[in-house]
Amino acid sequence: MASNSEPLGPPPRPAAIINHVTSTNEPFPDPNELDAATKVHTQGDFQIEARKLPISKAGPIDELNERLGIPVPEMIFGDNLIKITHKPSNWSISFDAFGALNRVDKEGKKLLKVSYAKDWERTREDTTMKIKNIVKPYDWSYTTDYSGTESEGGGGQRLAPGTGHSIPLALLQRRDPMLFFEEVILYESELDDNGISIYSCKVRVHEKRMLLLCRLFMRLDGVVVRINDTRVYVDFDQHYVIREYTAKEELFQSLNRKLVMSGRLPDDVTIALRDPNILDPLLTVKKQTTDTVRFG
Amino acid sequence: MSDLDRAIAQLRSCRPIPESQVREICHKARELLIEEGNVVTVAAPVTICGDIHGQFHDLMELFRVGGDVPDTNYLFMGDFVDRGFYSLETFLLLLCLKVRYPDRMTLIRGNHESRQITTVYGFYDECIRKYGSANVWRYCCDVFDYLALGAIVLGASNTLSTGTEPVDEDTEIEVCDQSGTVMSRFPRPMPRPNSAEGPARSPNGGGGGSGDRTGPPGSGASGSSGGSIGNPTGAVLCVHGGLSPLIDTVDKIRLIDRKQEVPHEGAMCDLLWSDPDEIDGWGLSPRGAGFLFGADIVKIFNHRNDLSLIARAHQLVMEGFKEMFDASIVTVWSAPNYCYRCGNVAAVLELSEDESGTGLFARSNGDVGRSDGGRGVMMEGETFVRNGPARRYRVFQAAPQDSRGMPAKKPVADYFL
Repeated sequence: MASNSEPLGPPPRPAAIINHVTSTNEPFPDPNELDAATKVHTQGDFQIEARKLPISKAGPIDELNERLGIPVPEMIFGDNLIKITHKPSNWSISFDAFGALNRVDKEGKKLLKVSYAKDWERTREDTTMKIKNIVKPYDWSYTTDYSGTESEGGGGQRLAPGTGHSIPLALLQRRDPMLFFEEVILYESELDDNGISIYSCKVRVHEKRMLLLCRLFMRLDGVVVRINDTRVYVDFDQHYVIREYTAKEELFQSLNRKLVMSGRLPDDVTIALRDPNILDPLLTVKKQTTDTVRFG
Repeated sequence: MSDLDRAIAQLRSCRPIPESQVREICHKARELLIEEGNVVTVAAPVTICGDIHGQFHDLMELFRVGGDVPDTNYLFMGDFVDRGFYSLETFLLLLCLKVRYPDRMTLIRGNHESRQITTVYGFYDECIRKYGSANVWRYCCDVFDYLALGAIVLGASNTLSTGTEPVDEDTEIEVCDQSGTVMSRFPRPMPRPNSAEGPARSPNGGGGGSGDRTGPPGSGASGSSGGSIGNPTGAVLCVHGGLSPLIDTVDKIRLIDRKQEVPHEGAMCDLLWSDPDEIDGWGLSPRGAGFLFGADIVKIFNHRNDLSLIARAHQLVMEGFKEMFDASIVTVWSAPNYCYRCGNVAAVLELSEDESGTGLFARSNGDVGRSDGGRGVMMEGETFVRNGPARRYRVFQAAPQDSRGMPAKKPVADYFL
């Protein structure tokens, strides 16, 4: 069989010329070129890494499906990564697609349905009586409460529930020079054209502090909108890290009403519904936790 | 130069044409499309393309790689609009080419060719932005309602036409890159009695599911639609999404009243929305709407309709194409670097012409029971698969960003909180 399976073709093609992710021509680096696609910035005792590569290929997708036990979203950036390391202790927190998807409900205990599911089912009762089995029920909205993968420091440093600290918003609102900025997407699904589910990470580093925002934004049209935010704040001078996790949710109709009541025209409501920054203050907080870790 | 040729030239340079001209062209297109059946018959050679999604510059790259119109005969399987920044220019160019060269250009409907979907996913906004009113969007949507739901490709050869390099007779699948350089070739497997394992399923490891055959597209194992060399191949059905439990023969597709907005119910909806999956029989999507279908469904359908292959689009695949279920169905994806951020490659599928000329007549044209004496449903366990056409996949990357006349997309540093 193997002899049959061997490609007949010419010798393997020469290695593609790889553009770095910062090139103006879109890059298609081989996933093996992880280092070339990783930007590293060091500030004080901390190292920040951001890796951006194309969506995963069929092989890695099959592997990931297997490891996770659920089908992955159609846009899966399996090689992407954001990582913050405290170098002296080797403590780190990282964000990747596997970690995020591993926190998705894999049994579909509270299965969401698209807005027109009832109509869809009703009009098919006669013809499709026999087709009853829902294929692999799981939370296909890919809602996750992932707040990073932590690796303990050499001195046992770990994030622990809050000690009165909170992220100093006033300091972060100042227009301090930005020494490093990156945005990395971990996965995205169009929910079969019923909305969007996207997990993206943004990081900005200043001389004395940095902020990382990792956000799950899920809008199921006509049904519900969710924003799960994990913010990681690092104070380089005082050597501490705060992690804040906030889960927010609002029923679609209620959100729609709020947007209309704010004086928006129908077209502007459509646009607003695509922008998590506009929606964020209109959602109801469901859960909030704060953890901190201190070094030296 | 006629007005139409001028419009084509203007659209090729990615500039919109005046509203009055859009109206005229949409009107002409509708007159043309209304004459087409729900399932258009297309003779090989033909180049089959998947989703484009408004990525105009990548469509130009597709024409560069696949050959220009009218030199190459094209079949586009829908989803011309939404997501990308140039849905308008993309759709209007394809439509103008359809009007100008009706026999060289086949357009079938995707789930995005719908009023409801385009309102949410970008095409509507783009029309408003570029024309200041929704008129052009309305003209286009009226054309959408007349697009065919599928196509049947007849007369495809089981050997490849000579590309840039000579091809052996027993090559079933060839994958080449955008400059035409052959990346890999797969011979047609000899029929082997009693092969429990069977040859590996497809160039990108589709049906098999194991993760060890990765690398450049087509670097996996051999393709396989069995059968002996020298027979004309079965027909190829092209449809945007997939099959429907309400449709057991291609003739039933022909009976649908298609001239309407894509409905939420019925066979028309399924043809544009359903997906193949590694399951037995039919399944319901966990989303609460939409069907999934397994290998057995495809094989029974192909057998009953004398098809050798179903070509469909609708799902993003990193390698640009993905053959599944012993090469009985293939997903073709033609939007490279989808949404300008996925970094995927795209592909088109070339079927060459059976030069013996017998293929067009010797077979059932996708109608049930014409060549097999009305044999019924395939018996369970039977592994009969129609001899597949030879397939050349041309894989290509996104157009260089500097050709787009838009600024390089770099993350905009912002003081997010």
